[in-house]
Amino acid sequence: MGDQPIWEQIRSSLIQHYYQLFDNDRTQLDTMSIDASCLTWEGQQFQGKAAIAGKLSSLPFQKIQQSLMAQDHQPTPDSCIISMVVGQLTVDEDPIMRFHQMFLLKNINDAWACTSAVFRLALHDFG
Amino acid sequence: MGHNNVGNSLQRRARCWSIYRRRYNNWSEQVSSGIRPSSHQQQDGDPATNGTHMSTRVRYTPYAIPPCHWRGNFQKQDQVQANMEGEQKPPERKMEGERQDETSGSWFKIIIPFGIKYEETWLLNLIQGQCSVPFTPVEFHYEKMQAQFFVEHASIAFALKSVNGKIWDENNERVSVFVYPSDAPHSVQKELMSEKVEQTKVKSAGELDKSKSLQPEEMSANRSSLCTAFPDKSTNISSILELFPKLLCLDSQESPSPTSIGIAAHKKLPTCKGSFFGSDALKSLILQFLLQYYLIDDSGDRQGLLSAYHDEACFSLTTPFNPKDPALSSLCEYFKESRNLKKLKDPSLRVQLLKHTKCDIVRSLCVLPKTQHDLSFFVVDMWFQTEMMICFSVNGVFKEVEGMSQDSVRTFTRTFIATPVSNYSLCIMNDDLFVRDASPKETQSTFSIPVPARSCSSWPTLCQKQQEVVQTFSTQSGMNLQWLQK
Repeated sequence: MGDQPIWEQIRSSLIQHYYQLFDNDRTQLDTMSIDASCLTWEGQQFQGKAAIAGKLSSLPFQKIQQSLMAQDHQPTPDSCIISMVVGQLTVDEDPIMRFHQMFLLKNINDAWACTSAVFRLALHDFG
Repeated sequence: MGHNNVGNSLQRRARCWSIYRRRYNNWSEQVSSGIRPSSHQQQDGDPATNGTHMSTRVRYTPYAIPPCHWRGNFQKQDQVQANMEGEQKPPERKMEGERQDETSGSWFKIIIPFGIKYEETWLLNLIQGQCSVPFTPVEFHYEKMQAQFFVEHASIAFALKSVNGKIWDENNERVSVFVYPSDAPHSVQKELMSEKVEQTKVKSAGELDKSKSLQPEEMSANRSSLCTAFPDKSTNISSILELFPKLLCLDSQESPSPTSIGIAAHKKLPTCKGSFFGSDALKSLILQFLLQYYLIDDSGDRQGLLSAYHDEACFSLTTPFNPKDPALSSLCEYFKESRNLKKLKDPSLRVQLLKHTKCDIVRSLCVLPKTQHDLSFFVVDMWFQTEMMICFSVNGVFKEVEGMSQDSVRTFTRTFIATPVSNYSLCIMNDDLFVRDASPKETQSTFSIPVPARSCSSWPTLCQKQQEVVQTFSTQSGMNLQWLQK
């Protein structure tokens, strides 16, 4: 594991937890968000736990598998952590697609929550 | 994990948090009290600060309102007039209630350090000799050691930026030319204000003032509001969006169907969805920032980006470089700075590769390959906003323009957390960049093969207009934008 600061360990385990939940049971993802959370998914924004949970549950695939290729994070001025993830995913029997996702993680009353996230498929449709 | 490890971890955590607090406190102190930037900044040779009169309000940035006090040559009204009348204004591009010349509206300040040594005409001729497009300098003046003037149009600013490093004086000393986004010069603003007053008086008298050669439609009130007011005017957005035609198109799309991802029946890749800005005001602010940022980023001299960053900003870069994969080997220039924490286990390297202070950041940026970004295909997500900051991501492509990987096309995602420092400028606190190779399809679609303009069924006039704007921009800038034409 290496000699990581505790907040780095928290961050990487949170991200890992997110993708495990996402791949296995998306309905439980609301445990990671709070009422003030906001998700921007492919250019659409969803505010609040209920809207986010609704969006993620309604994604129209049965199976998904995501693997992470790159991660990076930085501290922000207001003591949050901004975390960037690049990975690949495949849904049902579809071809593999790249995606990138950003999370803003905040410590609220000694618990970490994701207050904001952005998801984009790595598509450049110039047609 | 033993107690010692926990103790060390907590100490590091405490240090990290104290860094965060210091960063935040520094920023808020600077903004509220208008403290002059530290001498540390000047030592970096930021040309924008050397010898310039400093605003007493906020710290000087090239994006901010120019100094209030100067002396020197103010251009006469006829100079301004000549500037306006020199524009191309095909009548079919006029839109109701909007500026006739859609390529105008963006002003830039040109600074020649030590320009005080040179006579005005001689200097301007020297610059014009190397500049690929004709330009009309507005309000040429000397300020302390510098010569300064303004130009309108981003394309002219681009061309002037390229002059830097290519001109020498009679003593064989290099004459530097630096370009910074700016408000409209005061004389232009005053002219517009008095125009407005005149027009109001004339209209109330019920007759046109024939002695004025400037037509009210050509110099609408929106031009001054473009430069001075908070950027929530629709024409402000229009002028910026000319350089982002795809953003304009995508942004007007209807919300995508939720079934867009992974439709098994078609086995088809989903299409890229439009940008999200949250509001017109933020859209204008962000796009203006991006235009300014990439103007300098692509200029060949990234030192100008120093003023874009907070003193204690953070930057890191990640690239999926794999030394064993020859296909990725051309990314090695990025790999040197890459901080992919999935692979990077060495804690000291992790710290080292997180650039922390504006000087370190710009030093890192300056060693990256020179680039040409394709602004027209940027996709932007504004993902959160607080009173103090906004966070947004940009996805797009760029080409390397020199070195071993010249003409290689890359795709990138860049996330910024920034604080607004004036009506239309941002100060970067966090900058996270991911770079990868473009796929053959992506490469083909952007810099090499002409791509048919996206059809916009709800904005047919606008799409045609975009093509005309692009043609003008292409002619003026000398950039090859054929791929945007049908």
